[in-house]
Amino acid sequence: MAKLSLAATNPSAGAGEEDPGRRLAGLLLELARCVNPSVAQAHPSRLEADPRMEALRDVLMEREQLAIARLQQRFDDPSEFADAVAAVLPAAFDLAARDQRLGQAIAPALEQATQASIRKSPGRMVDILYPVMGPAIRKAIAEALDGSIQSLNQALKQSLSWRGLKWRIEAWRSGSSFADVVLQHTAVFRVEHLFLIHRKTGLLLEHVAADDAQTQDPQLVSAMLSAIQDFVRDSFDAPAGADRSGRSIDSLRLGDLLLWCEEGPSAFLAAVIHGSPPASLRAHMADTLSAVHKEWREALDAFDGDTAAFADVAPRLRHCLKEQVAQERRKLSPLLWAVPLAVLVALGAWIAQRAIERQRVDAYVSALREEPGIVVTSVERHDGKWIVDGLRDPLAANPADLLSQARLDPASVFGRWEPYQALHPSIVLKRLQATLNPPATVVLSQDANGIHVGGSAPQHWTDKVRAFMQGLPAGAQTLDLGALKDVQDPDYIRLRDAIQAHLIRFEPNAPRPGKEQESELDTVAQELRDLARVARGLGFSVRVTVVGHADATGKDIPNLSLSLGRAEVVRSMLRARGIDPTLLAVRGAGPLEPLRPGASADELSMNRRVSFTVSTSD
Amino acid sequence: MLQRKICLLGAFGVGKTSLVRRYVDTIFSDAYLTTVGVKIDKKVVSLGAEQVALILWDIAGEDEVAAVRMSYLRGAAGYLLVADGTRPETLEAATSIQSRIVVELGRVPFLALLNKADLAQDWAISAARLQALEDAGWTFRRTSAKTGAGVEATFEELAALLAR
Repeated sequence: MAKLSLAATNPSAGAGEEDPGRRLAGLLLELARCVNPSVAQAHPSRLEADPRMEALRDVLMEREQLAIARLQQRFDDPSEFADAVAAVLPAAFDLAARDQRLGQAIAPALEQATQASIRKSPGRMVDILYPVMGPAIRKAIAEALDGSIQSLNQALKQSLSWRGLKWRIEAWRSGSSFADVVLQHTAVFRVEHLFLIHRKTGLLLEHVAADDAQTQDPQLVSAMLSAIQDFVRDSFDAPAGADRSGRSIDSLRLGDLLLWCEEGPSAFLAAVIHGSPPASLRAHMADTLSAVHKEWREALDAFDGDTAAFADVAPRLRHCLKEQVAQERRKLSPLLWAVPLAVLVALGAWIAQRAIERQRVDAYVSALREEPGIVVTSVERHDGKWIVDGLRDPLAANPADLLSQARLDPASVFGRWEPYQALHPSIVLKRLQATLNPPATVVLSQDANGIHVGGSAPQHWTDKVRAFMQGLPAGAQTLDLGALKDVQDPDYIRLRDAIQAHLIRFEPNAPRPGKEQESELDTVAQELRDLARVARGLGFSVRVTVVGHADATGKDIPNLSLSLGRAEVVRSMLRARGIDPTLLAVRGAGPLEPLRPGASADELSMNRRVSFTVSTSD
Repeated sequence: MLQRKICLLGAFGVGKTSLVRRYVDTIFSDAYLTTVGVKIDKKVVSLGAEQVALILWDIAGEDEVAAVRMSYLRGAAGYLLVADGTRPETLEAATSIQSRIVVELGRVPFLALLNKADLAQDWAISAARLQALEDAGWTFRRTSAKTGAGVEATFEELAALLAR
């Protein structure tokens, strides 16, 4: 660098070349240019014009030029430049950190550096992180263990029950673990309140509560909660200055009430829970809290007491207001009481009905036993039906009638009756009535001594009764016929007597009656017709025997056939007159039943005849 | 609603708790003061159309054995320093607390209350001392827990200081 002596710049030294006044003016102008930039713009430098000005500047700026040269050297020499930067770097970072841009700018480089560092010596990184990660890992493991012990206890408790079996099936079907299914069903809890609390100020950011949950002033509660957190941290945790933000109360239990706190960097979430929540709720809270931190990070950092920015947090917190009600704790419907009551009533009604039925069956059976002609041998209940076994005379009372009198359902009582013939007087009486059809004039009565037949009856009926008595077994009670009067119908008597009074006369050896007998036969026929009608009206049948007779002359054999022939002829003649031939019977008596015993012609004539005999026949 | 965390500090026995008792909402008993060392009260003050909820952290009094827990001060927007006008040593305790608060919180608005203003005949604090503190930036208000004088006004004034 060219250097000019001070003497050379002395104005007096160059006086011969230029006017000293102009030189001084030029110098002053240059100075003014240096001091005031506006002058520099207005007036061009005159140094080029004068090389001595250069020399003057060198003289005036010598120290500055030296300083610039030193700086230049520092910039050019890498080691010196590094020294200089190192000296100011901490202060520069300190200043730059007030702005986010520094962080953004160096973050990628830091990440790369960290990765490189970890790759280079992982052990060292572990040493550095251990104090931070250790407690976090321990906490996580403890929580997981806590949860699984809880699961284990529940699982053991439930594994053998019927419900446990159902849950096992559910676990198998849903593919989750049995313990999870157990917890899902048994954890009875209800999150009643959630407080989102700003950590630094303890002020309430948001509060949500279950529908009917009561609380004191949530702002006071949240401040007190954070005060208690501080208190516990101060009192029991690491001494002041150590890592104070890492640990806090995470659960408090007061009887059935549980307080869970989940800490985040700027806010913590406190849940007031009734019962025993599953560990999954804690995870849910942690997720919610980190989501809140992510979404409202700036609002959380800038929070100064105005909660307007957190208006939308509440719906997110509401997701944590979970509850689970135990199945068996469900309130029983009052209607359920009606079920045992109804069962009881039904049972009572059934028992009462059975008792009533039993009583009615007893009454029915004793009525059957009272009934003549019925013998009950056994009564038993089988397949909901009553079976009555016994003997029954067909003429005895009908058991079905007694059944309806006893107000029993015919479908529920079944009788098995073996028929027999009873000798009880009333049955004998019935049988008598059924068999003999007694006329209205007969009075039948029964008492301890037997059956009495009174009144009056025709002979033929009395004959039937006697025949009936013959048919009764030995030793049976007899019928007393002492009071029975024998009566006949007067018309019958008259007709019988009239018919029996007729005689049809014959000439000797003649099988036919003479012509004069025709009217007699007409009369007989008329009377026979009347007799048949009367007998029919009285309910019995009659039989008229036409008896032929011969006189005692001649031999007996021809006489017998003659007499029979005469009877046959008369019968034919009566038939010819319209008489039913079945009414008539014929008999030949020969000469054996003479009307007159003598042998005179008159007497013989009297014996040549046909007579009539009327009898009742059954 | 705006919320502000306010601390209530002072030497033991200056009557801080009595001072605010009639004017605040609380759900906690005084037992918290002796156990946890702090009791939370709330005072809602209207500032024009807006309401400010002052969450008062009534911090247990300072004495020979117990120092104020500084962690309770964290995040406070302002505070009230209470001294007993009849006991000068309580004012000195307040200055000691004040210096520690400045370390913990930096400079935040506060009011210094001289309590027991009703006991004028026993007043024992010199005007010179007050003047010196006022010069150092203190603002004094006289209050009485007994008559209630000055209490409401103090809350309103503090709320106004903090609102913006």
